[in-house]
Amino acid sequence: MANTSNNKPLNDTLGVKRTINHFDFSEPYWEGTRQKKLIIQYCKATKKFQHFPRPVSIFSGRRRDIEWREVSGKGVVHSYTITYRGTPAFRNAEPYAVVSVTLDVGVNFIANIINCTAEELKVGMKVKPYWHPLDDGTHLLMFQPDRNMA
Amino acid sequence: MSLRDNAIVAYAETKVMEKSDRNVWVLSGEILEELLDKTGIDKNEIDGLVMAGLTGTGAANPFWAQTTADVLGLEVGFCEQVHTGGCSAAGCVARAAAAIDYGMCEVAFLLFADTHVLEDRTDHSHSYRREWTDPYGLMGPPGAFGLLSRAYESKYGLDYRMLGKLAVTQRKHALLNENACEKLRVPITIDDYMKSRMIADPIRLLDCVMRADGAAGLLMMSRKRAKEKGLSKCIIPIGYAERTNFKGGENLVDVTKSGHEVCGKKALGAAGLGIKDIASFHPYDDFIIAIMLQFEAFGFCKPGEGVQFIRDHDFSHDGDLPLNTGGGQISAGQAACSSHNLVEAVRQLQGEAGKRQVKDTKNALVTGIGWINYGRNWGSSAALVLVPE
Repeated sequence: MANTSNNKPLNDTLGVKRTINHFDFSEPYWEGTRQKKLIIQYCKATKKFQHFPRPVSIFSGRRRDIEWREVSGKGVVHSYTITYRGTPAFRNAEPYAVVSVTLDVGVNFIANIINCTAEELKVGMKVKPYWHPLDDGTHLLMFQPDRNMA
Repeated sequence: MSLRDNAIVAYAETKVMEKSDRNVWVLSGEILEELLDKTGIDKNEIDGLVMAGLTGTGAANPFWAQTTADVLGLEVGFCEQVHTGGCSAAGCVARAAAAIDYGMCEVAFLLFADTHVLEDRTDHSHSYRREWTDPYGLMGPPGAFGLLSRAYESKYGLDYRMLGKLAVTQRKHALLNENACEKLRVPITIDDYMKSRMIADPIRLLDCVMRADGAAGLLMMSRKRAKEKGLSKCIIPIGYAERTNFKGGENLVDVTKSGHEVCGKKALGAAGLGIKDIASFHPYDDFIIAIMLQFEAFGFCKPGEGVQFIRDHDFSHDGDLPLNTGGGQISAGQAACSSHNLVEAVRQLQGEAGKRQVKDTKNALVTGIGWINYGRNWGSSAALVLVPE
């Protein structure tokens, strides 16, 4: 059944075929991933980050307050779920983990996690980016345990 | 005129089906006929059509309510489709009352008909999903509630057996409800709940609602007109509030808090009731944990004390806080645009619930939950307080 307490790495989802249809207002994000850079939206008026990308600042409601800033992609696991019944593209990759990570700049980012055992995966675990290449030259942000904790 | 000057004068409901054997408009016609027969209202007196927009079958037709009015031969001064997801049914009551107050219609037909198993034209492609969750295989609502459950568990701890208690109670109610989906009318135990297979750990199969087909409807008019018509079993909406995109202008939110905190206070305030006055509770149930979160958000108990509250109370139809006495959606089937819990509350207050009739019919609290947003809990919350005339 729910085999979530062992030392084997959780299934990764690297073999899943993905074609992602971008919104035009998200393009700067995807362009950044070509160089494995995590570039997210920042509201100049309120000095806060937001994710996912929007056509306006969710804080001020204005387009002109948005700029794009590179961030480290480091954070901690805020929550996770182990998927036993995936979406059609993910059939046969189950069980795999989906995590919600709170980035150090104060936004949550939902993604997959790799190089991680079921035993290791915990709320509060430190993580760093893992960039998975896609066919179009962009990369998909995933996370991996950040074991180099100072 | 205000919300409480209006009345629900009748309800109608088909049996919930795993998959409909009739077209959605055949079901709609059955509901219309039953409401007319029950009330003696002439079809031509209906001058308002208010439909829940939570429809898979009608999703691709931008003219769904108009098309339906045409099919049913209804000429109306108010033609409305309410798009607040699983809050739509309760939202239809508030909007119909507002339209009657404003004089846009006098007799409103609220229609909740959907055959989304037979024919689903839902399309989520123009949403965050295509870029931000589909590429990671996050499985829609179960995945989102998996994340929500784990976040709750890490903050407060969570005894899953107590969620199982809610599942068992609702299932017992479905056994007493002949309109519940037959597939679900099988007794379960807490152990069955605990052993049911993981879908999106910690969400189990028996946490989840099952999509099903069916239809329901209500007839509404002013209390004054209902009295003139001699309609005696009136149910009055005395408090309503909804909240969409709760804390939508913030980037990091506590996912254990929802818009129900806001609309619960507002709806109960309008009703002049405290939460301890609530005689039966009919919360939206897409996943079992949503019920527990609502105990906390509405103030039945404090945040983090939901498990203890479940342990301390009997939610059977003859218990101290009757809960989703028709089985809820989870044990009756997610049909009829998620109107099941609303229709059940109306039935209870009219004293027509038979073997599952609650003793205390002085009021009922009905809620809604609609849509799943990114990294939060849900998009819309609603609360509706009903009392008998």
